[in-house]
Amino acid sequence: MRILRRLRHWWRFGARSAELDEELAFHREALEQDLIARGSTPEEARATARRAMGNETQMREASRAVWLWPWVEGVWQDAKSTIRSLRRSPAFSAGVILTFALGVGVNAAMFSFLDRQMFRAPALLRDPASVNRVYLYRQRDGVESEVSGWYSRHSDLVRWTTSFSDVAAFVSRMMAVGVGQDARERPVAIVSASFFDFFNAPPTAGRYFTADEDAPPVGAPVAVLSYAMWQAQYGGRPDVIGTTLQIGAVVYTIIGVTPRGFVGLWALRPPAAYVPIATYAASEGPADWATTYTWAFGMETMVRRKPGVNSVAASADLTHALELSFRAQGSVRSDTRTADQRIAALRPRGLAGPLLLERGPERSSEAKVATWLGGVTLIVLLIACANVASLLLARGLNRRREIALRIALGVSKLRLISQLLTESLLLAVSGAVLGLVLAGWLSSLLSASFLPGAKRASVADLRTLAFTAAVTLIVGVATSLFPVLQARRLSLTEDIASGGRSGTARRSRARAALLVVQGALSLLLLVGAGLFVRSLRNVRDVRLGYDADSVLVVELAMRDVRLDSAQTVALRRRLLDVAREMPGVSHATLQFAEPFGGMTSWPILVAGIDSTRKFGIFELNAVSPDYFATMGTRVLRGRGIERGDVAGATHVMVVGAAMARVLWPGEDPLGKCVRMLVDPVPCVYVVGVAEDIHSRSLGPETRNFYYYLAAEQMRPQEGGLFVRSAGNAQQLIEPLRRRLQAEMPGASYVTLTRMAASIEGVTRPWVMGANVFTAFGVLALVLAAVGLYSVIAYNVAQRRHELAVRMALGAAAGSVVRLVASEGMRLALYGVALGGAIAVQLGRFVEPLLFKQSPYDPVVFGIVIGVLLLVALVASAIPATRGARVDPNTLLRADAG
Amino acid sequence: MGRDLVKLQPDLLPGTLDLLVLRTLARGPLHGYGIAQRVRELSQDVLHVGESSLYPALQRLLLDGYVTAEWGASENNRRARYYTLTAAGRKQLTAERREFERIVDAIHLVLANA
Repeated sequence: MRILRRLRHWWRFGARSAELDEELAFHREALEQDLIARGSTPEEARATARRAMGNETQMREASRAVWLWPWVEGVWQDAKSTIRSLRRSPAFSAGVILTFALGVGVNAAMFSFLDRQMFRAPALLRDPASVNRVYLYRQRDGVESEVSGWYSRHSDLVRWTTSFSDVAAFVSRMMAVGVGQDARERPVAIVSASFFDFFNAPPTAGRYFTADEDAPPVGAPVAVLSYAMWQAQYGGRPDVIGTTLQIGAVVYTIIGVTPRGFVGLWALRPPAAYVPIATYAASEGPADWATTYTWAFGMETMVRRKPGVNSVAASADLTHALELSFRAQGSVRSDTRTADQRIAALRPRGLAGPLLLERGPERSSEAKVATWLGGVTLIVLLIACANVASLLLARGLNRRREIALRIALGVSKLRLISQLLTESLLLAVSGAVLGLVLAGWLSSLLSASFLPGAKRASVADLRTLAFTAAVTLIVGVATSLFPVLQARRLSLTEDIASGGRSGTARRSRARAALLVVQGALSLLLLVGAGLFVRSLRNVRDVRLGYDADSVLVVELAMRDVRLDSAQTVALRRRLLDVAREMPGVSHATLQFAEPFGGMTSWPILVAGIDSTRKFGIFELNAVSPDYFATMGTRVLRGRGIERGDVAGATHVMVVGAAMARVLWPGEDPLGKCVRMLVDPVPCVYVVGVAEDIHSRSLGPETRNFYYYLAAEQMRPQEGGLFVRSAGNAQQLIEPLRRRLQAEMPGASYVTLTRMAASIEGVTRPWVMGANVFTAFGVLALVLAAVGLYSVIAYNVAQRRHELAVRMALGAAAGSVVRLVASEGMRLALYGVALGGAIAVQLGRFVEPLLFKQSPYDPVVFGIVIGVLLLVALVASAIPATRGARVDPNTLLRADAG
Repeated sequence: MGRDLVKLQPDLLPGTLDLLVLRTLARGPLHGYGIAQRVRELSQDVLHVGESSLYPALQRLLLDGYVTAEWGASENNRRARYYTLTAAGRKQLTAERREFERIVDAIHLVLANA
């Protein structure tokens, strides 16, 4: 009821106001007449009545406040007057809005990116809080490593755990989908039938596959299309159910379509189709793939905990199941040691961890850097806020007189504060809108840099918008805080009387503090930039042991084409010959393993050493005579693989320098004999020593060793080519691919990539770190410089009387400049000191992200401090010089008048 | 006017001003100035209702539906706004009066016996 009456009153707002005014006028008149009746003169009566009535404006507002939502009216009025006043100072408004846009935009983009990677539960997942990804570990020589994804291990977990209501296996692969011209490499999800039970996602058409269709050893050739694929490739036709689609080597029958928005666990690379794990494994793996522990294909396990089971209990359950699984594996493999000892030494450990990989223990270094960048963007936001607050303060100081007058006229302080708040919020909202546009652009840049090939991320999702709205509200309120506090301290008499022309300088401590903070944050970002730039240089300076830039990697996808071993060898030989004859190719070699693309190791035996395993992993490649020329790997001693190293001749190998050092310390490795456990030839003789290569990390690889066998002797059934381009490698890709493809039988095909691309994947965190820190650091520096400049300029304006008096009394222009500029420099020095202290504190956290780089590098700190102080000097010297140019005569005269 | 005036603030005792206004209007319709005068006279110049509290109070009472307002002619034929107590206002007056007396009695008890 009251609400309704209130609404009605509000509706009749204008009439109400007039009535109230008339009523008050009557009141005053009546009072006057009474006073006259008691013997006052009319003048006295009028004065007394006026005094008695007190502050009429205030009363009127108080009366209105009863029947209005005062803030509704107030906000509307404030918004109108704010827009008016902002239009009067377009430079100020544009500056503030742009600053907000930068701060908010960068954060919205970063949030959208991090949210997708680390926070958002997969779409349509039922009760995400109870779902975990399974991480399994074991130790070898005191080093813990992840246990490979074997199907048999997964089955053991299903069998021996009791904590879970659902367990599913999954992996996503790039596979050739379709045939002929339509064939494309697309992400395909290989999942157990139970996978779909985790989601609240009934199929749009048809059905999902059943446990029977996903049963080892062969499964059924049935596939579920993704909604996007169904729309894009089949135009959403319902008769797609029952048609066939070749994926990899298998021709699948389509039995269903997922609902719209369903992407499984792969929001960044949504699968085109979902196929049963058994069907995939049967087509790609050995016959006994489901029962032995030999064929791993990167499969992972996800679980849903039963109600009441927490993740600690679930992890313990997994650890126990892993122990039993190792025991079961032991009975499959023969071993001399007792099972208990062996299992104790393995230290099995299971973990029911976060479903999102990038949040778990196995997150990528990109994710780690991205987390840091999230922090960096927050710093940018802080700087932007500080700058806006600083600008608003300056504006507030200029408006002191106006504000003081309004208070004197009876405007309540609450109204005044609400107006300042409205102004900030309005600016923040405008900035945020612009920021979102910026964010859309930034976020595709982020995705492209961190996750090449990933689906374009849009920032126009509810979570990002909600985040942006929250940030906008917070920065709007936060930036208005300073002007509001300032308004509360106004002194009426002084501000009105002096007309804002006070003779003494009025320094704002709040602005000074903001500047110091800005300076400190800029220093932090610039130091970060310096450290990452130097890390990146160190990364690029690493001698990989080969020239990745000019080498192309050729890989063969055989699909369902099954060749016997002689045919395989012949095909590979033919491809090598074709590649060699191709114009633009300087060298080519067969290869079996690619650095940073997964190497292979076989156990080796060396006379006098009981176990070579204790040294680490010995990885091999099987190569042609041109290998070392193709790769640019230097042969340090002896010879490389040569044309004479064929099947009938003595088997030879070239070893890496580190391998020679560790196996035969102090001896000549040439002529030594190495026996291969898997390939029981009597002896493979060392004929050369090559320089070491990096194949796993850019850091020191102390436990990885490399050797090279002759492809003609080893005759591997897998692998492709390395091709060295004489010119631009990128331009060679397409013609070479077409030429090689002509040799491929059936549906098989070749893919070509630049070797540098896999190296770029490894160096990406540092490239990103260097780029983002530098960009943000420079941005922060510019913002801080503008802030400093405006503060000094403002102070000069405030002190112009004082400066004029000084100059009138004979002070030299230079000393005036020094006087003013020294203030800016003092603030800059405080900022540098504060920022330096924080940077040193943060050093140990950032150290693991750097590459051969101390976080306390004096060169970086020195340069950054130097740049900061120089910028500060320029930013304060310009307004100071301008202040000193004032003619005291003119100024003091103008003031006297 | 040498005597001290007690300026009636809305928070002197919660609801006191509303109570006085309602009680004054119980005798018949009055305009704002009349209400202020009546309170002053009846309290023998002790209670002085400030305009800055009277008019917001009247707006509140209007909103709550305890009084209605109408324009009429004043004693000297000026347009003035007359407030009239409604049935709801009368009920409210009884309730507030009872509550006020209860509190005054309570205060007396404390003052007499503490």
